[in-house]
Amino acid sequence: MRYALLVQGAPYSSQASHSALRFAAALLARGNRLECVFFYHDGVYNAARLAAPPQDEPHLVDAWVRLNEEHGTQLQVCIAAALRRGLLDEREASRHGKSGHSVEPPFELTGLGQLIDLGLGVDRLVTFAP
Amino acid sequence: MILHILNRSPSSSLVYRDALAGMGPEDRLLLVEDGVHGALPSQVRHFEVIGDRLFALREDLVAHGLDGHCDASVQVVDVDGFVALTEEADKTVSWF
Amino acid sequence: MQAETVLDGDVLVILRHPPHGSSWLREGLDAALVAAAFGQAVSLLFQGDGVLALLQGQGPGPLGQKGTSATLDMLAMYDIESLFLDATSLARLGLSTDSLQLPVSPLEPPSIAALIAGHRLVLTF
Repeated sequence: MRYALLVQGAPYSSQASHSALRFAAALLARGNRLECVFFYHDGVYNAARLAAPPQDEPHLVDAWVRLNEEHGTQLQVCIAAALRRGLLDEREASRHGKSGHSVEPPFELTGLGQLIDLGLGVDRLVTFAP
Repeated sequence: MILHILNRSPSSSLVYRDALAGMGPEDRLLLVEDGVHGALPSQVRHFEVIGDRLFALREDLVAHGLDGHCDASVQVVDVDGFVALTEEADKTVSWF
Repeated sequence: MQAETVLDGDVLVILRHPPHGSSWLREGLDAALVAAAFGQAVSLLFQGDGVLALLQGQGPGPLGQKGTSATLDMLAMYDIESLFLDATSLARLGLSTDSLQLPVSPLEPPSIAALIAGHRLVLTF
């Protein structure tokens, strides 16, 4: 089956990211396909490229990136929710006159319409919220 | 059948009532994260109306030290079983 | 009248949080507006403290924090006219539909379950 996940919790603040990553591994192990993870609300913080957790904690940003590299899962971040919270890719940073950027590929800033498309297009959308 | 997913304990949040109000006669409810506290014998009465359609996620029960404290009426599934429940459902609704 | 209420559509957005205290309501309404702008038949269900979003006389929060009542006024423009609330949630708060800014159909549990079952995509905020 084709799955998408909606993650709405910030990493290290709630269990949402851990639960979503655990579910992602399990659905892939059962032979399903994970098309996309969409990040909304405080979930957009999962795309913070400067996240530097201590060594003895899982690196959640890296875990998302591995999902993309190993399974082709798209990592889409709601642009409106992200910009408000200081999460900008290179293009948005330059557009807003900021000297650094906080989001980088494979995370992509995209519109909320993508979430609706996904929700109606895949077989199952599962939400992980704080 | 719709799979409803609840991550709040009935002792700290009333969202479980909204989840129950949204459940049809075939729907199932899976307790995850803090929601697994609802599987305790002292809490499980809140879910009486759904009978044997109540599930709890083993990994979260274990993490909370509740593995041996789960009420007998609750069906315990691991994360593979969680995925299976979503495969069997027409869709999922998360309550938080 | 209740018998004529249409309980199905493409996207159901469930709003369970009141205005101001968090951005759940605003971001949930944004999702509803976007879905409608994409041509989907969108329904809203106000449930729990989310019914407080419907109260008349709301204003902005501190430091000009945006409220949501202006967004509610825009729903009709986006053809979002299937508006429901959980009657139990409203009664629990001691409020009646007279104090609400929009005409919203109150639903009892069996109809709430039918509403959820009747939509292809259900998003909770």
